[in-house]
Amino acid sequence: MSMADGRRLARWVPELAMAAALVALPFGFDAWLGSVDLFTRILIWGIFGLGFDLLFGRTGLLSFGQAAFYGTGGFVTAYLLTGNVLDNVWLAMAVGVIAATLFSVFVGFLALRRIGIYFAMITLAFGELSYFLENSPLSNWTGGENGLPGVPAPTIDLAGLHYSFAGSWPSYQLVAGFYFLGFLFARSVVLSPVGAVLTAIRQNPERAAALGHDIGAYKLAVFVLAAVFAGCGGALLGIFQSYMPPDAFALDTSGQLVIQTVIGGAGTLIGPTVGAAIWLLLRDVLQQVPAIGDLWKFILGFVFVALVTFLPNGIVGAVMRWMAQLWPRHAAGAGGTRHVDAAAREALLAPLRAKTAPGAAPHFALEARDVRKAYGGIRAVDGVSLALAEGAFHAIIGPNGAGKSTFLRLLKREETVDSGKIILHGADITAADVTAAYQYGLAKSYQINQLFPQLTVRQNLRIGALGRQRGRWRLDVFRGAESFAKVEAVVAALLEELDLTACADLVVNTLPYGEKRRLELGLALASQPSVLLLDEPLAGLSPSEREGVKQLIRKLSEGRTILLVEHDMDAVFELAERITVLHEGRVLAEGTPKEISNDPLVREAYLGGLAP
Amino acid sequence: MPTLAQFLSQAFNGLAFGSLLALIASGLSIILGTLGVLNFAHGAMFMLGAYTAFVVLGHWDSFAGALALGALVLLSVGWATERGLIRYYYSRPKEDQILVTFGLGIMMVEAVRYFFGGLSQRVPLPSWGQGIVNLGFFIYPLYRVEAIGIVALLLLGFYLLLYRTRIGLVVRAGIEDPLMVELLGTHVRRAFLAVFCIGAMAAGIAGVIYAPLAAVIPNMGEPFLVQCFVVVVIGGLGSFPGAIVGGLVVGEILSLTTLFNPAYAQAAIYAVMTLVLIVRPRGLFGTMGRA
Amino acid sequence: MSNVIDGAGNATNAPAAAAKTMIAVERINSYYGDSHVLFDVSMAVREREVVALLGRNGAGKSTTLKTLAGVIHPRSGTIRFEGAAIESLAAHAIARLGLQLVPEERRIFGGLTVDENLELAAFSAPDALPLGEIFAIFPRLRERRGSYGRSLSGGEQQMLAIARALVRRPRLILLDEPFEGLAVNIVQNLLDVCRALVAAGQTIVIVEQNVRAALSLASRAYVLNNGHMVFEGTADELQASPDVMNRYLGV
Repeated sequence: MSMADGRRLARWVPELAMAAALVALPFGFDAWLGSVDLFTRILIWGIFGLGFDLLFGRTGLLSFGQAAFYGTGGFVTAYLLTGNVLDNVWLAMAVGVIAATLFSVFVGFLALRRIGIYFAMITLAFGELSYFLENSPLSNWTGGENGLPGVPAPTIDLAGLHYSFAGSWPSYQLVAGFYFLGFLFARSVVLSPVGAVLTAIRQNPERAAALGHDIGAYKLAVFVLAAVFAGCGGALLGIFQSYMPPDAFALDTSGQLVIQTVIGGAGTLIGPTVGAAIWLLLRDVLQQVPAIGDLWKFILGFVFVALVTFLPNGIVGAVMRWMAQLWPRHAAGAGGTRHVDAAAREALLAPLRAKTAPGAAPHFALEARDVRKAYGGIRAVDGVSLALAEGAFHAIIGPNGAGKSTFLRLLKREETVDSGKIILHGADITAADVTAAYQYGLAKSYQINQLFPQLTVRQNLRIGALGRQRGRWRLDVFRGAESFAKVEAVVAALLEELDLTACADLVVNTLPYGEKRRLELGLALASQPSVLLLDEPLAGLSPSEREGVKQLIRKLSEGRTILLVEHDMDAVFELAERITVLHEGRVLAEGTPKEISNDPLVREAYLGGLAP
Repeated sequence: MPTLAQFLSQAFNGLAFGSLLALIASGLSIILGTLGVLNFAHGAMFMLGAYTAFVVLGHWDSFAGALALGALVLLSVGWATERGLIRYYYSRPKEDQILVTFGLGIMMVEAVRYFFGGLSQRVPLPSWGQGIVNLGFFIYPLYRVEAIGIVALLLLGFYLLLYRTRIGLVVRAGIEDPLMVELLGTHVRRAFLAVFCIGAMAAGIAGVIYAPLAAVIPNMGEPFLVQCFVVVVIGGLGSFPGAIVGGLVVGEILSLTTLFNPAYAQAAIYAVMTLVLIVRPRGLFGTMGRA
Repeated sequence: MSNVIDGAGNATNAPAAAAKTMIAVERINSYYGDSHVLFDVSMAVREREVVALLGRNGAGKSTTLKTLAGVIHPRSGTIRFEGAAIESLAAHAIARLGLQLVPEERRIFGGLTVDENLELAAFSAPDALPLGEIFAIFPRLRERRGSYGRSLSGGEQQMLAIARALVRRPRLILLDEPFEGLAVNIVQNLLDVCRALVAAGQTIVIVEQNVRAALSLASRAYVLNNGHMVFEGTADELQASPDVMNRYLGV
């Protein structure tokens, strides 16, 4: 069996293990506790948690209102069945999940405008709102405080076979079946390019957006996905208990989900299931102990606080880390270290033509026309015009506060201009956002490294290359993140070009600064840009490292248009063909290096005393 | 159509409830603005105040005693929490801070449930708060009028603390630019402890005042936590004037919509919150510093 | 042998050894994260001196001041301030020892009034300068006492930033780009104030991109380039070396 075959099989090990566990474990529960029901309950929380883990564990969005969707799925399903609107349980479940999905689109649209603290508060508020709605205005449909009893179980009627999922073991089979399907799907998402982008969003959302990914769309997608899992779990709860309880909507439910996920381990997919098992088992066991009794929840709260403090990756996370230390994954397996020869590298890294074809034949690669930007009363950029010919190497210099950084940010569309135009290869991109700019072939490398610190070098570069090859938004959850041949080829070429092959599979936050700086350049290159903005690429480098990066930049400039902002004047004069001098937000002078160094106005600006 | 008396009565309810919310939310807001921590245990701290009142007022008719002991209890809880746990979290991500305060809140609620049971307790009105008062157009429970007065005094005290004392100056400057405060020789971290305790005490004292008005149960703080968040979103994170205005607005919306359709009162405040989020996400008074 | 230029611009011959060293910086290496910004930087400032720290932006001037003030801690090297080692002290402790940084961008508290800004500065200063004397130096601030920081003009904010430092009667003031973005007449005004302070014996380190302004005040100058110290000498010596000026300060 080849290495590649081995890896292909290895990908399915967790699914196989899960299938085996789902077949074997219920017998254990039955023997130990006399019934399989507790395990069924654990798995229902597990389904709820699979979606939440994608939302929080993978993307970093801490929602305290998931109960809103759990309850919606459950109550819509239960109402349709107990209110005699629908007979077919499967259909009712489907409608319930769709209802949860629609609700989540609404909430997500509002909540995702903000991040962090705000997001937690807004989701909590909506969770409470739905609890309130269930209790009062909608109680005619939801049964108010009493919930909805009498929810029937689904049946299969196929080709003479009749099977009802009512009863302890059939319920388990139903729930386990859904859990397994959910697990398969969640695993697929995690291993897909979508999963890679979600991870990137968690670690550095601004850079993910700058690398061509529509992070707003991805966040909404995972929020809705989490709601689908939640709605499914809620529907199954009602069926399992033959009763839909109102506390499905309660803050306690959202809170319990969060606690179980953290205890089990966020980001591991099975963490929430393990956490649920711990919670439910401890609850049942601890309550029997006379000395503890009602204190079981206090103890769980204490365990939670201790885990957040000392073991932030939860129990499964800690186990996985320990296992990784015992059996380190062989780096060579991931992607393979193919040697890419120079000619192939050139071909692979050649600038891609912009996707939007300009109308008239463009004269300049990048143009700024009378661009202005003010903050409050301060005019940071006060009517700057610039024109870069194709293939030009242009530098911008200027004293402190001259507006250089702001101007670069405007060009890269990280901020909106107050007035003026920005034109890329003849197309007006003034209204485009940072993600679109990347897609059009305009990339920037940052003064302060903006990397994905917990990913490997290879994974970092892949995020950049995926952005250009895949477009800003795609929900391709059924293919592997490493399945784009072109992307992998570009990544391999970049690794060689940047001399990063040796550390390709090392995690970024373990690397020394020089390597990180080269990776920073690499991320900008990954889109094969036709116009490259370099913001102080030599910042923080030792004199010898400077030389290396200067060579690299010189090489990169072949066939590309480059705009460089730097304070290292030696480097600027060595590399640039033309220089623009900014002073107090305006263009003071422009010309060849020789012209600029002889310009008395420029000298005055640098040495001070120039009247504004 | 409600009568004038009913309307005024509800408006006063809104004032009473809203000013109470303003007090709780002020505490949450300065903790958030200064420390950057969203205190998910804030509702539990409010509940601790109410239970303190239950213990004190159940044995002695000393409202002052209840207030004093409530303040003391929350001062100790705040001190222990900040020194023992929160201060290790300042450099950790916001999500971790939320999680740890959330866990602490649960521990507080469960501990109280263990000691006092889950049944609702009744706290008697203080002797000078019993009965009703004639306010011209309508009659109104005396204690609620007094509660408005007490809370107003406390909010005034809060204001004086923030705007007329040294620690208040450090807090207001620290919300804006903690590094600059350090450069001027004042160790901001030391102020964090004071701010956390003050915030906790604000919630606890509000709990003491509220206790005679409703059922005292272990998770009584939950709805207040959520409403606090709504107040803070409307008023603006980290803003003391925002907490006051936001609190009064939420209190009045709740009370006045109850007049027309009780079932939709809660929905009304979430609707307003949604509106604010769409139209002016930074709230009425904006944010000063971390958000 | 060295010429000391007093505040009025008169050269007086004073023996070099008479003035004590106030701050001695030995081979510090500072980093932002793991970006190496200062490479073995050394400098010294004597009592009652005005020293200019020059260089293009990105050279490391602000980083040097931030390292002295304790905002950043050097990974190696020592800083001795009036005999005490301060390289590992926290910023507030260093401020209390009498080393006061006036940061670039001024960092006025916008939500506090002028009075409150000054009051805050006086908190940890045992014998703070009375407000009357502050307003004697900056009469404009007296007119604006009750105004909120955010409503002050750029020049007024810079005055307030310097006033905040003076309130604390610091032994050493570090001025980080005090003239940036200010109109010429205001720069002149501030220069006059600085000269008066110098005449009264204040020790100052000034970081400025406006080389002319800085050299009109300073008696000695250091020049940084890409994080390395490349020149040390008197202000006269620097002005007499146009090649140094052009190479490291100009274009």
